[in-house]
This record gives sequence, structure tokens and C-alpha cells, in this order.
Amino acid sequence: MIGFLTYRIALTVPLLLGAALLIFLAGHYAPGDPAQVLLGDHYTPAAAAHMRHELGLDRPLAVQFVAYVVHAAAFDFGVSYVNPARHVRDIVRQTLPTSVRLAALAVLLATLLGVTLGASAAVFPRSPADRLIQIGVIAGLSVPSFVTAALLVLLFALRWRLLPVAGWGTPQAYVLPVIVLAVAPLAYITRISRASVRQVMTEDYVRTARSKGLRTRAVLLRHVLRNAALPIVTTVGMAFGYAITGAFVVEVVFNIPGMARVAVDAILQRDYAVIQTAVLVYTTLFVAINLAVDLSYAVLNPRVRF
Amino acid sequence: MVRRWMGVVVAVVLTAALISMGGPVPATGQQTGIFRVPLGGEPPTIDPYFATDFSSGDLSFLMYTTLVGLDSSGKLIPEGARSWDTSTNGLVYTFHLRDNVRFHSGRKVTAADWKWSFERMGDPKVATSVADVVLPGIAGFDAQQKGAPGLAGIRVLDPLTLQFVLNPKARGGFLNRLAYYAAVVLDRDVVGQGGKGWYETRDAGSGPYTLKEWVHNDHVTMVSDPNYFLGAPKVTRIEMPVVTQATTRLAEYQAGQLDLVPVPLADFQRIKADPVLGKELLVFPRAQIIWFGPNPRVYEPFKDVRVRRAFALAIDKPRIARTVFFGFYQPAASIVPPGIPGFYAGYKGLTYDPAEAKKLLAEAGFAGKLPPLTIAMNPIAQDYQMAAEAAAAMLKDNLGVDVRLQKTEFASFQQGMNRRTAFQAFMTGWAADYLDYSDYLDLLLYSKSPLDRVSYASPEFDRLVDEANAAPTESQRTILYHKAEALAVEDGAMIPIVFTQFALLKKPYVHGMQTTSALSGWLRFNSVSIQK
Repeated sequence: MIGFLTYRIALTVPLLLGAALLIFLAGHYAPGDPAQVLLGDHYTPAAAAHMRHELGLDRPLAVQFVAYVVHAAAFDFGVSYVNPARHVRDIVRQTLPTSVRLAALAVLLATLLGVTLGASAAVFPRSPADRLIQIGVIAGLSVPSFVTAALLVLLFALRWRLLPVAGWGTPQAYVLPVIVLAVAPLAYITRISRASVRQVMTEDYVRTARSKGLRTRAVLLRHVLRNAALPIVTTVGMAFGYAITGAFVVEVVFNIPGMARVAVDAILQRDYAVIQTAVLVYTTLFVAINLAVDLSYAVLNPRVRF
Repeated sequence: MVRRWMGVVVAVVLTAALISMGGPVPATGQQTGIFRVPLGGEPPTIDPYFATDFSSGDLSFLMYTTLVGLDSSGKLIPEGARSWDTSTNGLVYTFHLRDNVRFHSGRKVTAADWKWSFERMGDPKVATSVADVVLPGIAGFDAQQKGAPGLAGIRVLDPLTLQFVLNPKARGGFLNRLAYYAAVVLDRDVVGQGGKGWYETRDAGSGPYTLKEWVHNDHVTMVSDPNYFLGAPKVTRIEMPVVTQATTRLAEYQAGQLDLVPVPLADFQRIKADPVLGKELLVFPRAQIIWFGPNPRVYEPFKDVRVRRAFALAIDKPRIARTVFFGFYQPAASIVPPGIPGFYAGYKGLTYDPAEAKKLLAEAGFAGKLPPLTIAMNPIAQDYQMAAEAAAAMLKDNLGVDVRLQKTEFASFQQGMNRRTAFQAFMTGWAADYLDYSDYLDLLLYSKSPLDRVSYASPEFDRLVDEANAAPTESQRTILYHKAEALAVEDGAMIPIVFTQFALLKKPYVHGMQTTSALSGWLRFNSVSIQK
């Protein structure tokens, strides 16, 4: 187990380095020079050259990359190009918890609701409830989040005045963004839960459990759900990924001061320091989630041993 | 059984913890004395000398003091200075400072503070963003750029008397430049002690409001300074949340979360027709022009003045103003907008004449032979795209040129324009930094200006601008500038399309707000009151 853990964690290093290199090159070769963006209408060739020097952008590419990696290893991501008084580390410290909280709440909601709905649909296949849930799943997967967001804001914030339009911090402000962000993961989890539970319900041991007189509830909780859990857990891990990427839309639409909105602003302003760090942080998050999912198999399935 | 309930308990506790963990406190619930105005983006700085975007500019404007200010009509008024005298040759300005201007630390502002501040602004080692705008007219500025210590042209006569000696060649618009929102006095104690990010937690200003809190990417809160030299502001607290999306700002306004927001052009007609919002709409001229830039360096035919003129004559500006901008914007005959002192009223420019345009094109030998033209559009506001689409259709109809439109993202657009060798033509805009002719002609068309993105290199135009800047009186200066402006328009160096307007939504309980054609459309909020 320890050996496997060490192996998996060691594996993340080349992965993160590769990601860092890719984003570094993409940022370098993308059109739009940060010095010009920062100077805006105050651009002069001399001022741009001065700024490129200040930012270290006039050094050879390889030197820039190595310096970046060495500093990043010590959690020093440099300063923001746009506001040099701010350390990128501080930006991450301030905004990442917001994004993680938003994503975690959305996944929690999606998981609780998704497993319940999926299992219910599986228990009563082809019932009106099942049909309704299936339609909901298709809608949840196909309607983009900015449409859901606009619709919910129109109804709950502007027409009925029940919830704020945007913002963050008060419990009311959490409701709409969490729901919007939860929609797609919810649809996935519901679909997988339904399929997984239905499949397990056809197993012999379920028939045995029934025939020995267990109540449906007990059969479902003790025998079916536990065995159906493996694919569901994988989906929940993926759902976390969905929630994190979905936040790029939701945080902007709902004006939430999280990492994703900061990253979007940074992309538009060519704030390389922030963009690179954001990508690195998101990559790390994804890797960590995958690791957690893999490890959870061992807990859930006694046959899996690393 | 216990285990099952434990799971539920853990889930509930986790959820509660997730929701309650820290997080910034938002601006919800309106109380009297709080004014809520959004910032369009996270301010990159609140050092006024580096404030070149709207967010930083708005914040600097509210917290700092200039020597000379502007009133709602664009007239110069005393601000940090109570009055000023001008020498007979117009080259020496003596400012008599008010004796009740105090920094937010409580210390009195003196002439020495002004000198220190302006010297910091001009210091080439600090390399501020605004020195080129405010200081070029002051004697000794060029020397300072070459390494001389201090600004020789600024003299402290006594603690309340400050004197400026001007450079005769670049004296033009000196007072207008001093009214620029960044030409402010700084508290050197705050700047000196705060280090690189001194503006993060406090301000060095003496304006009506002082920085209370800056939560990055979330909001800035300011509180009033009861000792403000023009009287304590009635609104004691200003909350400025960072809201990057125009539609979100509008929705927050409708939901009562904001008190003053700009209206996106796309929503203008809906809001105007709305029985409630229509009454809360403020519309007034903005010192901004939307213009078409023909680039002779990339599109060969534009090297011929007749072709540029033909393009100008083939675009029906009144129709664009009327149909595309539903009469909200005004057709532009000249380059400098109406809000600027000396506006060239009555000038006709090149009026729509497709027959003449065709004739000019034929004379130049390009009739029916123009190569395809791509117009790059500034993506920052929808206005530019709407103007470009209309102009493209007219050019196609009237000149038979195959026009394509190119939409890039802002960083690429800006770079392409600055590089001068990327776009064949572009549609963009220019809004005033400070209300003066030089902010348009000197910057956009003077051959040595880095912002001469249409590569207009007319010796005659340069000569007129040089003479204007050396003119001893404003009226002489204006006459010279009008000549230069007419020359550029008739050369088709840039093609003015429309002058724009501001459209703001303001809650009816907000009283006493003064508007301006510059900045974000409003003057300092010290006269504003909230009455519900």
C-alpha cells in the first residue's frame, strides 16, 4: 500500500512538469504580448522593452522555464504581471478555497441527489418516475450552464427576489451557483447510479437476499448499493473534475471571487504568472482527485489490494 | 444503526463547515449612507500614477486631489488650489493653495508635497504611466528624463504658494493637463513607508473618500473623510464590488444590489422602453469618438489620399448614428468630441457623397479594382462591431470593395494596432484621459507619437500641432488645432464615425450626483446623498 502510494505520488511529478512546460509554451506562443497589454494606450516601444525586462521576458525561453520550475517547487510563483505588488501565492491562497468550496458543495449535492434519484429509477424501471428522471438526465447533460444560470437568475433573483443575482459570502448567495454547477455532475451520477444499481439487482445474491425474506430496503442498502458503489465513486471523482472546470463559467456569471474567475481575467490580461500557476493548481487538483478515487477502491472493494 | 447516523451527522457537519468557512462579506442590504457602485474589473493598482484603467482611475479620482478640477460642464474650477495667476507672457503659473487641504493622515498638504509628488511622477526610475500626459509642458521635464534630479520648473515659494515655469514649446493645455485625474498630490510618508505595494492597505490621498478595505477580486470599500476641504461628504461609505460582466452588473442593479451602473448598448432600447428603468436612465455626451483607421502600411491603396477620401465619403455617418445606434450617438464630422474645450462646432468635414467617392476612386485608378479589405474590430465593446458592420456594408455597396470583418480577442487587437503592420484597417474608439485637444491630435496622429497607428506622417499637420502647443493664448491655440484637425479629416488620415454618449442607470434615491463627459461619467461623490 505504502509502496503503491509512493509510486503514484512520484508519478505526478513528471505529469506536473509536462503540464507546466505545455502551458508555458502555449502562453509564450499565443498572440498578445503582456507588456503591450499592460501598457495599453500608454504603449511606446521603449516602455514595452523596459517592461519586458522588468518581467524577465527578455531572457532566453529555457532560462525562464527553469527559473519558473525551480521557484514553483518552493511554492514561489512570483508576482502578478498586472499588479506586481501581489504574490501569485497570495492570490491562490485567497481564491482557491472559494473555488474548492463551491465545487465541493456542488459535488456533495450532486452525489446525494444523484445516487438517490438513480437508485430510485433503477428500483422502479420504466415507471413514470424513471422516465421523468431519464428526461431530466438528458436535459441536465445537454443544457449549458450559462443557460441554466440565466434562467435561474431571471426567476429566483429578478422575478421573485428570493436570492441575490450574484456575489459570494452569504448562505443565500451560495444557492444558485451551487445548483447550476451541480446540474451536469448530477445528471452523470444519476445515470451511472441507475445503470449500476440495475445491473447489481439482477445478480444472484440479490435474489438470494430477497428469497431469504429481507425487506427491500435492507436488500437495497446492504447488498445492492454497496456493490454498485465502485462505478459511482469513479463518477463522483469525475464529477469533481466537471465541477472544477464548470466553475470557469459559473464563477464569472455569478461574480464569485474564486480561482477560476481570476484565471479568466488573467488569460484576458496575459498575466502569465497567474495563468501558469492556475493551470498547475488545477492539474494538481485533478491528479489528487484521481489518486483519491483509486485509493477508495481498496476501501470499497475487499478484492482490490495494492 | 449508530454507524449509519454517524454518516449523516458527518455529512451535515461537513456541509455546514463548508458554507460557514471564512469568505468575504458581500454588500447586501441597503442602509442609508452607503453608495454601491461596481468596478468593471479588479484594479491592478490604486497608485494614481499607474492608474490607466477605469477601475484604478475611478478609485484614484475618489481618494485624491488635483490642483485644478472640472465641473459638470467641463469648465476648469479651483480644487487643491484656491486660485492661480498667470504671468503676462503666459509662461509662469502661480497657484495659491487652500490652507484646509489635509491628507487622510491629518497632515496639511503644502506646496512642498506637490513638488515632491510631481517629481516622483516624472522620475524615470519610477517610470510612471502618466508623466507623459501631465508633465511635458513643465520646464525641466526633458532634463529630468535625461537624469537631472528633480523638476526645475516647479518652485515652492512658501508653504501655500506653488509656481510652475513652462516650456514655451510645449505649454499647450497646461491647465487641462493638471485637471487629469492622475495629476494628484501624494502623502510622501505613506508612499515612503509602504514600500512597493504601499497602496494595498491605505491611500496617500486628500480626497473626499479614504480606503477602508481592498479585498482583491471582490470589492473595495471607502469611507468618507469628515475633514474633506469642500465639506464632509453626505454619503459615509462607498462599496465598490468588482463585477466583470456587464450583464451581471445590470441584473444586480435590477435586483437592488447596486445603485449606479453603466448600461450595455445591447440593452439600451429595452431599458429606455421599460416603465421603471426608463425613468432611472441618465444619458449625456461622452468625450469619446468611434473611428475607422485606414492603414496605408498594410493596404496599398490607402497610400493614395484620394482612396482614403473616397472611403470617408462612402460611409453614411448620420445613417449609422440613426439606424445602428438608434440616434443615441451623434454623427462625427471632426475628430475631437463635443465635450472637449474648443470643439470645432459647425465643421462639416467630409459629408456622405457616394458619387464623388466613386469619382475619386476612378481618378486614383482603383475603380472596381480594390483588393479585398479586412477590417479588424476592437472587441472591448459591442459598439465597434456594430459600426464596423454598417461601414463594411456601405463600402461594399458604394465602392464595390470586398470587405471582411476580423474579430480578435482584445490583447491581440491592441498588439496588432500598436504594431502598425498587422491590420489593413480597424474600427476602434478613443475616450478622453483629460479634456484637451492634445489628448486626441497629438496622440493619435502626430508622426512621432507611438499611438499614431495609422502612420499619418504629414509635415504640415505636425507643424500645425507644434505651433498650437507653443501658442501663447488658448484662442490662438484652438485656431491652429482646428486647422490641423480639418487637414487630418480631409486627408482621410482617420475617418470619424460617431461621437458617443454615456448611458447610466441611477436609483431614484441617489441625489446630487454630478456627471462629466470624461472618466466613467461621474464627478467625485462628495455631493451625493441617499434619501429613501
